[in-house]
Amino acid sequence: MYKLTGVTKLYQKGRRTVPAVRGLDLVIEDGEWLAVQGRTGHGKSTLLNLLGGLDRPTEGTIELDGTDLGALRETQLTRLRAEKIGFIFQTFNLVPTLSAAENVEAALIPLRIGHADRQARVAAALDSVGLADRAGHLPSEMSGGQQQRTAIARALVKEPKVLLADEPTGNLDEDTRDEIIGLLEHLWRERGLTLVLVTHDTSLARQAQRVGVMSKGRLTIKLDNRPAPRPESHTVTAGHDTVP
Amino acid sequence: MFFATYLRRELRRRMRQAIFVALGLAVGIGLVVTVSAASAGVKKADASVLSSLYGVGTDVTVTGEAPQPGKAPANGKAPKGATQITGGPNGAEICQNGKCENAAGKTISNLAPEYLPIKSAEVADVARLHDVQAAAGGLLLTDNTITFPKNFGSSGGSAPPSPNTVSLEGVDTGNSKLGPLSNASLTSGHSFTAADSGSDVAVVDSGYATSNSLKVGSTITIDSVKFTVIGIVRQPQASSPPDAYIPLKVAQSLKTGPLGVETGDVNTIYVTATSAAAIPTVQHEIARLLPHATVTTAASLANEVTGSLANAAKLVNDLGKWLAVVVLIAAFAVASLLTMSAVARRVGEFGTLKAIGWRTRRIVVQVLGESVAMGVVGAAVGVGLGFAGASIIAKVAPKLPALIPGTGGGGGTFQSQSVNGGPVSRTIGGTPDRTIHVPLHPSITVNVIVLAVLLAVAGGLLAGSFGSWRIAKLRPADALSRVA
Repeated sequence: MYKLTGVTKLYQKGRRTVPAVRGLDLVIEDGEWLAVQGRTGHGKSTLLNLLGGLDRPTEGTIELDGTDLGALRETQLTRLRAEKIGFIFQTFNLVPTLSAAENVEAALIPLRIGHADRQARVAAALDSVGLADRAGHLPSEMSGGQQQRTAIARALVKEPKVLLADEPTGNLDEDTRDEIIGLLEHLWRERGLTLVLVTHDTSLARQAQRVGVMSKGRLTIKLDNRPAPRPESHTVTAGHDTVP
Repeated sequence: MFFATYLRRELRRRMRQAIFVALGLAVGIGLVVTVSAASAGVKKADASVLSSLYGVGTDVTVTGEAPQPGKAPANGKAPKGATQITGGPNGAEICQNGKCENAAGKTISNLAPEYLPIKSAEVADVARLHDVQAAAGGLLLTDNTITFPKNFGSSGGSAPPSPNTVSLEGVDTGNSKLGPLSNASLTSGHSFTAADSGSDVAVVDSGYATSNSLKVGSTITIDSVKFTVIGIVRQPQASSPPDAYIPLKVAQSLKTGPLGVETGDVNTIYVTATSAAAIPTVQHEIARLLPHATVTTAASLANEVTGSLANAAKLVNDLGKWLAVVVLIAAFAVASLLTMSAVARRVGEFGTLKAIGWRTRRIVVQVLGESVAMGVVGAAVGVGLGFAGASIIAKVAPKLPALIPGTGGGGGTFQSQSVNGGPVSRTIGGTPDRTIHVPLHPSITVNVIVLAVLLAVAGGLLAGSFGSWRIAKLRPADALSRVA
């Protein structure tokens, strides 16, 4: 579970200080699918970077399962990313010299898993995204959809707790986009992932349980389709809306 | 496994750049190897000159003071024992110790030491010095024989004849490992044994043997004494060997004129120091012990060798070394810049790897691995280029002339006056400056190859470390923002 308290991220642009995220309070439950929409430059990707431990907040705290990400050393954050967080990028970000299988395998390298186990997990991950027959292909030999499936396999092969996706359908045609949306929804349901997805794509955002909109660094929850909390749940709902 | 696959694929992707970097390093390494090989060749040539001049096992050579031959005494009289040739109305006369006889048709022989004598006690003193391991004496002599034509000295008679000169060295037959024969190779017969110390036997130089048709069993006459040739030896090219070697005791017993030696005297001492480091000390101590003697070491002798060999050594050591250094620096700089450029192009890739959990160290190792791999390829090609360069030098390089200074001795004590009465000084004996031609054989040692590989790997590491420094500073969020 993510718990963001008073998170602010400021950037320095020359002499100006630009706030990318401002005083954000937010709780993301385990297994939740949160879609974040908003115009370009309003802090969506910054929020994703903060959640993924790729960046540190200027103020406030981000806790993942009770661990304050801001207090971790760089190596600890790297370890956390290696074990618990999967990333999907708009431009796929595959290593161009490695085949589909090797790109997926790259995510297991930091976990020091034995070669045979790695190969088995890579094969299973590629199979789960329907790319078993493309294992030896280089990114340049695959379509955009196949590259994004490879990226999804790379994100999921380590069986992460959280999947962070930044415009995963942004570079895909309509048919392929629907395929990827279907795949993400299937994997989210099947694996019980916490999925935070930044997208301009309304049809993709509609699949999420909650939809928030980032505007000038503030997040406003516009839609909440989560099931009602069970009586024993202790969900903290602070930050349901943006804090001024 | 993954490391190697990633490395290989990445190098294959930027094949042209990798080849360019590897070739740059290869040229630098090739130059280092070639220069080192040429340098080793020059050193070897230098060493062969020095060892031939010096002899194996000899660290220091001590020679007695050089005599002042041919100088007419102030009173116009010859020194006691000197042979004087005078011209007069009755023709040329040979005078010795005040007794004169007509020179026409006469043959005179004069044996003289090349250097003033050193007492046997002084040899023992040298041998007792703290840093001296062994010392052996030698006696360098010159035998000059002149046969005057029958009409010599008369009006319209023949010109003064040239002397027939034979250089000799009396050697310590009990110490074959030190002295002039230590560096010689026997071509026929045998060398001296301790039992030969008092025998009239000689070992002759192959050049002298050839020009005088001598072989083992032949005899040579020195100062009216017949010596049986027991062996023929060949000395290295650069040396200026005596024509014949005879046992030291026998040499000391020969009649040697006004500069004659007494029993036990020598005029050369061959010295071995306890270690190479001790040579300067030994040189210093001997110079103090024998202030009038000339003390030379291989190093001091090397300074006297001039000519193309010395120039080549200087060229290789100075220009060659700096050229190699400059090319290496250029190659390292190009490799570093290209690696930096490659890292800059791969910022997004490294940002992604950091995002999926790769530690900076792992990415740095990957980049360093790529650079080192280019360095290793550069080293392999560079060593090949070095071998090619060395073999080209071996084929095209002319023999290097080396000018070796003469011994400066001049033991001949002939004094002559012209038929017309004017004094004439003539130096007989000693060895003149001479030029020898030494072939250049560049050689590549294992050490040079190891050095080349280390240099290339260092170049790769240097280039990779610049890239690594950039990777280490890379924040994943920034890197990913550049991809989007």
